[in-house]
Amino acid sequence: MLPITHFLYLAFALFLIGAAGVLLRRNILIVLMSIELMLNAANIVLVTFSRMWGNTDGQVLAMITIAVAAAEAAVGLAIVVSIFRARTGTDIDDLALLRD
Amino acid sequence: MTGEQLMFYAFAAMAVVSALATISRRNPVVAAVWLVATFFAVACCYVLLNATFLAAIQILVYAGAMMVLFVFVIMVLDVDERGRAEHRRPSRIAKVGYYGSLVVAGGFVAWVLVGTLARQFLMPGADLHARAIARPGAPPFGSAEDVGQLLFTKYLFAFEAISLMLLAAVIGAVVVARSHREREKEAANSGMSPEARRAAGLTSPLDPLQDGGPTPVGDFGEPSATGHDGGN
Repeated sequence: MLPITHFLYLAFALFLIGAAGVLLRRNILIVLMSIELMLNAANIVLVTFSRMWGNTDGQVLAMITIAVAAAEAAVGLAIVVSIFRARTGTDIDDLALLRD
Repeated sequence: MTGEQLMFYAFAAMAVVSALATISRRNPVVAAVWLVATFFAVACCYVLLNATFLAAIQILVYAGAMMVLFVFVIMVLDVDERGRAEHRRPSRIAKVGYYGSLVVAGGFVAWVLVGTLARQFLMPGADLHARAIARPGAPPFGSAEDVGQLLFTKYLFAFEAISLMLLAAVIGAVVVARSHREREKEAANSGMSPEARRAAGLTSPLDPLQDGGPTPVGDFGEPSATGHDGGN
């Protein structure tokens, strides 16, 4: 039996990598991918605790998270398309439209 | 070190390395492919946690649907990639190492996933390991039956709410991604008055302006490099 903490370390590492991608990268597509990474890390934690307690509720919650992530990606990419039409670029530092 | 531990550390290393590659690539297409590799490794970790149905869903939804969406958007946007990796000639050893590790990792993933899918859909209930932690008389832990029973009883409201949210997301995505010209055309076809259209910022340069506004000169706008005026 694998130690449960190692799965949590994996989830922690993936979340850190995703957070670093959101904070450090300026390409909006890669920022969206990093958000998917962080959602995946949350899913790993849910499934790990579901296994630990022998309780399937965590897996159902993880499925709901996957659905939310899919909807978020669809809307996020639609926003990217409309931004790209208006500004010709995917650099998020150019997006100060709301401030002006 | 047991085989299970060996598999876990292999897949955990795959997940972390591909996640690092995802956020460090300059070309978004390459990053998307690395993200698919991360999702596959995470799905294999789900298998090690006896969440076999969730692993199948992860592959179908993330690696199947969502990545296609990402790659299509990148294709439509025609993003300018400035990666120089394509122009660098790799050495022979690097090439052998690259393709060798690709084959090993792909073999691992295929082995676990094909085994899981066979177990999930061809002979459900054959998983002794899952049965060991299952309640007596209940379906095996983490199978489609187990998750489905919970999803359609205890979490029925969440399930219905998710379907509503997906509908809202589809409509929202279509509305947000429409182009300015399509919105102009729709406003004209729906019988909005020219004044209302101008107030909403939906005038077309082809529309004659009636009320002594700035007279339309013959300037229909060069197809500018920055797309439309972006003033919405």
